[in-house]
Amino acid sequence: MYKQIKSYFTNEIDTQQVVRIADNATIPFDLANTDYQAYLKWLEEGNTPLPADEPTA
Amino acid sequence: MALTQVDQGLLGTNAQYTGFKNRIINGAMVIDQRNAGASVTPTADAYTLDRWDAGMAQASKMTIQQSSTVPAGFSKSLSMTVASAYTPSASEWFGLYQKIEGFNSADFGFGAAGASTVTISFWVRSSIAGSYGFSLSNSAQNRSYPVLYTVNSANTWEQKTITIAGDTSGTWVGATNGIGLLCLWSLGAGSSYLQTANAWGTGLGLGTTGQTNWITNAGATFYITGVQLEKGSTATSFDYRPYGTELSLCQRYFSTTYNTGVAVGAVSNAGGIVHVMDATMSYGGICWNLPTKMRATPTTVSYSPNSGASGKFYTNSGAGDVSATTGSPVYVGMGAISYNVSNVSVTQNAFIVAHFTADAEL
Repeated sequence: MYKQIKSYFTNEIDTQQVVRIADNATIPFDLANTDYQAYLKWLEEGNTPLPADEPTA
Repeated sequence: MALTQVDQGLLGTNAQYTGFKNRIINGAMVIDQRNAGASVTPTADAYTLDRWDAGMAQASKMTIQQSSTVPAGFSKSLSMTVASAYTPSASEWFGLYQKIEGFNSADFGFGAAGASTVTISFWVRSSIAGSYGFSLSNSAQNRSYPVLYTVNSANTWEQKTITIAGDTSGTWVGATNGIGLLCLWSLGAGSSYLQTANAWGTGLGLGTTGQTNWITNAGATFYITGVQLEKGSTATSFDYRPYGTELSLCQRYFSTTYNTGVAVGAVSNAGGIVHVMDATMSYGGICWNLPTKMRATPTTVSYSPNSGASGKFYTNSGAGDVSATTGSPVYVGMGAISYNVSNVSVTQNAFIVAHFTADAEL
C-alpha cells in the first residue's frame, strides 16, 4: 500500500516520489529503483495510492 | 625484471588475475548494516547481510543471521536455520541469492560467442548432507544454468568449486546498473524450478530432480562464507578486501547513518543528523551526504533516534517524535538526500534529529 505526498514547494501532489506505508519509505520515481518498479507493477494491477496527508499546522 | 620472468599465462584473455577478481560483494559476510548481527525472520524476499537476499516463497520459514561459526581464515558467515519445516509447492523456492550489477559482470560477455567461463567457490556447512542446487541466471530469469554440488558430511565445513561455461545465448543486460547476473543457492525448490543440470536452459532452473530440500527439515542449519565468483576456470584464493573497501562497495546499494554494529531502527543517537530549529522560522533542512554514490536514486526512510520508529523525526521541543509528513525528502539523488522539516512548533534553539537509510539495491 502506498500514499501520495505533497511537494513542500508547491503543496501539490509530489510527482517525484511516493510513500510505502508499511515502512514509511519514500520511493523516488527512478526506473532503476526496484521499489519504484514494484510500485509501477502495483499500479498496473489496478491499485491506487492513498491521498496525501494534509499539513499538520 | 626480465620479461621472460612474466608468466605468459597471466597475459591471456581468460587468465586469472588479482585485485577485485571477486564479483561477489560481501562474500566473507563481514558487513551487516541492516541487522548488526541480529537474527531476522523474513516474511518475504529480503536483504539480510549486505548484498545477500533471502528467497522466501512463504513467510517466516527460516531465520537468517551473521554468524561467527566459520572455517579457518574467515571471521563471519551467513547462517540460515529452518524455523518451520515446509515442503515447497511446484512453483515455490527457498534459498539465498546475490544480484551482481551489470557494470560488474559485463566483461563476462554472456549472450554472445566468446562468453567467458566463470568459477564460483564457497565454503558451506549444513546439518543436512546431500546434493544442493546452485544456479546462474540472467536478469529476466529466462536463462539459467543449474548445477548440483554435494555436502558430503553434516555439520562440517567444506569448500565447493563450480565452473560454468559462459552462456552464448539469451539476453544479458551488459554494462548497466541493472542486474547483470544472479547467483542462486537453492535450499528447497518445487518441480517448476528443477531442470537439466550442467547446461544452459530457458527459464529459471535452481536444481535438478533429487536435490536436497533443506527447508523440509525443522531446525536444520546452513552456513555459507568465502563466496567468490571470478572469470576463468580455476578457483583462486579468496580475495580478502579491506573492511572499509567492502563496506564502501556495499554502500553503493544500501547505506545508513547508524553506527557500525547498530541495527537500523535501534534507539541510538550516534550518527543521527541534527538540525537546530530557529523559532523565528517555520522550516529547516536536513542533508545527508551519502558515503558513496549509489547505484540508483535510493528509497529513503527516516527513523527517530529516540524511539527507533520509522517515518519519524525526534525533536526536543516537547513534541517528541514527529511524523515524516513533517519532514519529507525534497531533493533525493544518488549522492545526497535532503529533507525539509516544517510545521514543527519549536522553542528557540530546539533541535530536530533523525537517522536515515538509503536503499538502491538491485
